[in-house]
Amino acid sequence: MIVAEGLTKRFGDTTAVADVSFTVQPGKVTGFLGPNGAGKSTTMRMIVGLDRPTAGRVTVNGHPYQSSRAPLTEVGVLLDAKAVHTGRTARSHLRAIAATHGIPRSRVDEVIELTGIGSVAGRRAGKFSLGMGQRLGIAAALLGDPQTLILDEPVNGLDPEGVRWVRQFVRYQAAQGRTVLLSSHLMSEMSLTADQVIVLGRGRVLADASLDELVAAWTATTVRVRTPRPTQLTELLAAPGVTFTTTETGTLMVEGASAAAVGDAAAAAGIPLHELTPTTGSLEDAYLALTGDAVEYRSKELA
Amino acid sequence: MTATALAPAATESVTSPVRLSFGRVLRSEVIKLASLRSTWWSLAIAAALSVGISMLMATASRDFGADFPAVSAIVMPMQFTMLVAGILGAIAVTGEYSTGMIRSTLTAVPRRGTVLAAKAIVIAATLALATVVSFGAAIVATAPLLASQIDWSDPMLSIVPLGYGVLAMTVCALIGLSFGFVIRNGAGAIAATVGVLFVLPIVIQIFAMFGESWHWIVDLGRYLPMNAAAALTTPGGPDDTTPQLIALLLWAAVGLLGSWAVLRTRDA
Repeated sequence: MIVAEGLTKRFGDTTAVADVSFTVQPGKVTGFLGPNGAGKSTTMRMIVGLDRPTAGRVTVNGHPYQSSRAPLTEVGVLLDAKAVHTGRTARSHLRAIAATHGIPRSRVDEVIELTGIGSVAGRRAGKFSLGMGQRLGIAAALLGDPQTLILDEPVNGLDPEGVRWVRQFVRYQAAQGRTVLLSSHLMSEMSLTADQVIVLGRGRVLADASLDELVAAWTATTVRVRTPRPTQLTELLAAPGVTFTTTETGTLMVEGASAAAVGDAAAAAGIPLHELTPTTGSLEDAYLALTGDAVEYRSKELA
Repeated sequence: MTATALAPAATESVTSPVRLSFGRVLRSEVIKLASLRSTWWSLAIAAALSVGISMLMATASRDFGADFPAVSAIVMPMQFTMLVAGILGAIAVTGEYSTGMIRSTLTAVPRRGTVLAAKAIVIAATLALATVVSFGAAIVATAPLLASQIDWSDPMLSIVPLGYGVLAMTVCALIGLSFGFVIRNGAGAIAATVGVLFVLPIVIQIFAMFGESWHWIVDLGRYLPMNAAAALTTPGGPDDTTPQLIALLLWAAVGLLGSWAVLRTRDA
């Protein structure tokens, strides 16, 4: 369990994190979303005491991370894959970290095996690919068999097999009652992995809800209809709050009316329907709607 | 990564629970230092320089006259090897900052004073040990070359200069380590270390030519690490070397205190 209360971090004039409060519950995978510069990494760094909050506090299992007698068994953290000395082999890196807690060598071998870096464990980390570096970072996070996992962009640079492994792994960890907080820019991956989602934008919490709630609240349910008589159907359904768009292929998108309402209206008027599909929005749609104003580095819309 | 082999629990024994202790952090720092090639390179270069220059001096000692103390041939190469010690201390820290390793270190050991103390002890002990070994090698290697042998019956001509030599090497490594923690950047920390150990003594030598009114700078210069070390390790140097000894210890103490102040307050 991670509890942040009024967490604030200022770097000079820039406020990276502004009065952020949230609770990361055990037994769930909590996704941390937000545009670049939203304060996700800074928040994660404050949780493990690398950055000192300007104001507010954050606790892990009820106490500040720094006061733990066995930090590695409480929190396993992957902040970025580059927290490794490039001149040291992967195995030596893991042994050095394990040694601080008296974690036996057998556990070092276990996490090497678990993350699939056995074949490169004797090589210096500076020669690692992005994906291998990521796996090494995950291996280090797992050393203490921690109650809480904090993973910043864990699937960054991983191959599809690695991505799936991380997903299954964190879901398994949460199912064991552990606390998992992970950030990712891959919305489709996040929607497969997370139960709860915290969205940050410009250093503030924009939303903190379950995945389903978030998608329901921030996207509209649309109904895709194909019919040979679209004009007649739109006249029938026309009402305040109901909007229609027609795609190039002649498919009618109805927003603001349920699939049942559309089907009933069509049946009553004897209009044949060739397709009637309710579509819910995606996490990506919800995220974009939420962070629309909070994107710090906006890319130009292509015409 | 195999999905079937999911997270077996860490094998803990009842007598040794998995948690932090200072001894374990020391062990971790030993593993870190020993698992880098740069450490072994630095130590090998320092030892080779030390023994090699000692042998040259021992050979030349036949021309120095009878009052050349044999032990000087052993300790005088320190003028160069102290620099290597300082650089080794600096890169032991800046290597962590430049690679991001420091974040792994400080998340595993969030009490920063512990990290500083462990690193300082391991670096100091490594340099002390390496210096003892290279002095030993130099003593053996120079024995056939020396005009007169080291006078072990007089501590001032044997064990005292050697002991201060070991201390001076240790202090230099700690000065480098301190600059590493304060500056964090490799090139910057090495430049500062070389500046204090090597360049400042030369600058102060120049002031000696400017006459009486600048003499106070020359007086102060005696407490620079290199000059204090030279006074402590030269048989027949100043009668009372206590000020130099205190100066040397202060260099290490002030450096470590500065490191602690920076490490404790600044974000990693």
